[in-house]
Amino acid sequence: MRVRLAAAIVVLVIAASVPGIAHDIPNAIVVQAFLKPEGDRLRLLVRVPLQAMSDIDVPLRAQGYLDLARADDALRSATTIWIAREVALYEEDARLPVPDVVAVRVSLPSDRSFETYETALAHMEGPTLSEDIDLYWEQGIMDAWLEYPILSDESRLAIDPGLRPLAQRVTIALQLLTPDGRVRAFELHDDPGRVLLDPRWGQAAARFVRSGFTHILDGVDHILFLLCLVIPIRRIGTLVGVVTAFTVAHSVTLIASAYDLAPGALWFPPLVETLIAASIVYMALENIVGAHLMRRWLITFAFGLVHGFGFSFALRDSLQFAGSHLLTSLLAFNIGVELGQLVVLAAILPALHILFRFVVEERMGTIILSAIVAHTAWHWMTERGSQLMQFQWPTMDVIRLTTIVEWAMAGVALAATIWLARTLVRARGDRNRAKRVTGAAESQ
Amino acid sequence: MKRNTLIATTFVLILVALGISRFVLQQEAEAQGPTVRAPRFEVDPFWPKPLPNHWILGSAIGVWVDERDHVWMIHRSSDTLAPQESAGERDEAECCAGAPPVLEFDAEGNLVGSWGGPGEGYEWPQSNHGISVDHLGNVWIGGNGGGDSHILKFTRTGEFLAQYGMAGVHRSPGDPGADDYIPTFEGDSNDTQNFGRVAKVVVDPVENEAYVADGYLNKRVAVLDGDTGMMKRFWGAYGNTPDDTNLGPYDPDGPPAQQFRNPVHCADVSADGLVYVCDRANDRIQVFQKDGTFVKEGFIAKTTLASGSVWDLAFSRDAEQRYLFVVDGMNQRIHVVLRDTLEEVTNFGDGGRQPGQFYGVHSIAIDSTGNLYTTETWEGKRIQKFVYMGMADVPREPQGTVWPTNSTQ
Repeated sequence: MRVRLAAAIVVLVIAASVPGIAHDIPNAIVVQAFLKPEGDRLRLLVRVPLQAMSDIDVPLRAQGYLDLARADDALRSATTIWIAREVALYEEDARLPVPDVVAVRVSLPSDRSFETYETALAHMEGPTLSEDIDLYWEQGIMDAWLEYPILSDESRLAIDPGLRPLAQRVTIALQLLTPDGRVRAFELHDDPGRVLLDPRWGQAAARFVRSGFTHILDGVDHILFLLCLVIPIRRIGTLVGVVTAFTVAHSVTLIASAYDLAPGALWFPPLVETLIAASIVYMALENIVGAHLMRRWLITFAFGLVHGFGFSFALRDSLQFAGSHLLTSLLAFNIGVELGQLVVLAAILPALHILFRFVVEERMGTIILSAIVAHTAWHWMTERGSQLMQFQWPTMDVIRLTTIVEWAMAGVALAATIWLARTLVRARGDRNRAKRVTGAAESQ
Repeated sequence: MKRNTLIATTFVLILVALGISRFVLQQEAEAQGPTVRAPRFEVDPFWPKPLPNHWILGSAIGVWVDERDHVWMIHRSSDTLAPQESAGERDEAECCAGAPPVLEFDAEGNLVGSWGGPGEGYEWPQSNHGISVDHLGNVWIGGNGGGDSHILKFTRTGEFLAQYGMAGVHRSPGDPGADDYIPTFEGDSNDTQNFGRVAKVVVDPVENEAYVADGYLNKRVAVLDGDTGMMKRFWGAYGNTPDDTNLGPYDPDGPPAQQFRNPVHCADVSADGLVYVCDRANDRIQVFQKDGTFVKEGFIAKTTLASGSVWDLAFSRDAEQRYLFVVDGMNQRIHVVLRDTLEEVTNFGDGGRQPGQFYGVHSIAIDSTGNLYTTETWEGKRIQKFVYMGMADVPREPQGTVWPTNSTQ
């Protein structure tokens, strides 16, 4: 608090000595940042729009152009007040002290040097803008180079950006460059709290177990699917088989998605969401017309694959917090999902038992419950389906059709070749066997 | 054995059927005409979102996309609205009123800024024309009204920064105070202080120089210092000293004119430092080095008369800027042109009022992902977005209206 007060006094003193400017907080800004631990120093390069530096009186020339010759003090004040003191960095849970401001400068709005760490650093080390450039202050960009003392570049780091006051909406594109040469990218919004940039496996696992658990409890569609799955099942063996099939299947697609093996097209999420709704409709209808319980694990496995993609969408934005424990985090998320499922089943199964024993006869109860679920899921399916239909489908023109026919011809030719080879090999085998039989008979 | 014969026969029959299908499809493809690999676009009928305050666009006369992928446009607002369109301005009805001349949209089509019009310290053009945002974030505006012989520069929020040239110069001889005096204007393409109805100004960020398409009265490209507006050099067609002699109507069969015709409608700088000039009524693009040395020229829809075919252009967003997208407000289409040869590979768009169609398509700009934006003058009065759909085999012939493929129509 004292620090803020002192900063405010500094600002007022500066304000008294230079022409003042006042402005509103911007609606939305993007902050670009690179964080690189190197030996006993942690380097932070950060780029923010100058217009987000509230209450800083930047010296101006006529017409509101930045007076770049006199801007350094104001830029350093802005960096200290709004970035150095607000961005909280942690090394192994200990907050790092306020950093040294190594360099501050103004860049043009068209400058692209913050696309990579190397170009950003070269930009910070290179020449500053010519002092006679007519750059309207609000259109300038402020770049800052901060350095923190650290004990080791192998330490685990965390950040609490604290940049929320800069604009109504703040997006922080942060890249951590680890000593082993890897780059870990984060996209943080507004006030994300303390973010562990390189969590221990236990920290990552705990976070993702929580995430999986809450996801299944928040996801009404997954709960309804589970309900449909177990309504007609009374035997524990069948129940274990079906739930295991669902679990294995969604684990497969969830992990595959995390390793970028799922389609990345924009139409894919709405397709999956539609199929999830369709899976509930199918299960509910199957309950109504009479489920083949012995085959249910098979169809459950197929639908489980679809639900796994659905889980992956929930996970996608938070995988950046897994650090180097991607697989651990995925498994932890899965464990969270399973725990959630167990809680749901623990609630559903006794409720169904009571319902069918005391309220309604089992068959009739199954039909009524399933009909209600089918009704709800049908609406989801049509709504999500209409969203899906908004996406562009490939145009089926003559050229594309010709290509498909050519691929089909190649496929049929390949199949024919394989069949022919197999038939010939079999025929030869038959002949050899016949010869051996004949030879054996003759030798007798 | 019988089973194997049956399977083999089935394979043969399927292959024969597919072969026949392929033959038929090939015939069909050939009947449809040749195709060419080129960027493909579809109109986005839902961009931009509706304007607030019952605002309506007038003749839309310039478009630009800035570093943040915000789309800027300029239009003539109430000056070009029919009384029925602007009844809201006179409180005769709830709708409509001319929107402020300068509008800024974000990439999603939300209006995020609006300003413009007469103000203190500068002379707003009689008829504003062309807009661009430079590497410093400043907004440049020209004008092609009778007495517009100047350029304006503003901040992106509409704070006035500079005026280069004075309004109302190049007036024809006579006594402006006389009752029978009718103000007319004459070009002076060798004037180093003023301009002659500027169509568009584009700043080269490398040299911080402004390239002025000058214009509807003058017949030159002028190059200014980006900070001071001081004129550094200028040139006419083929790099000749500009000459304001009236060339008469354009004759497609005649020898190429040695001077630009009015209007000189664009002067844009490519990433490799060449200047592409829209010689609109001469139906041609002329290419220059930055010092005005002539490099080459290419004709587009060469038989087009009247207002000509080369109105404005944008460079494709690949590193080589392989294509030029040239808007043609007479033939109502966008020509897709190879930048190195200036040969047209295909074109799209057609006249009409539905999405993807044009009436007086006047200006064009491209965003960082390759989507195109156009504005339409005269009674077109709108801005449209064409979504880049990637490279595709498209008809070499005119594609017509590029309607969305997911449409049920």
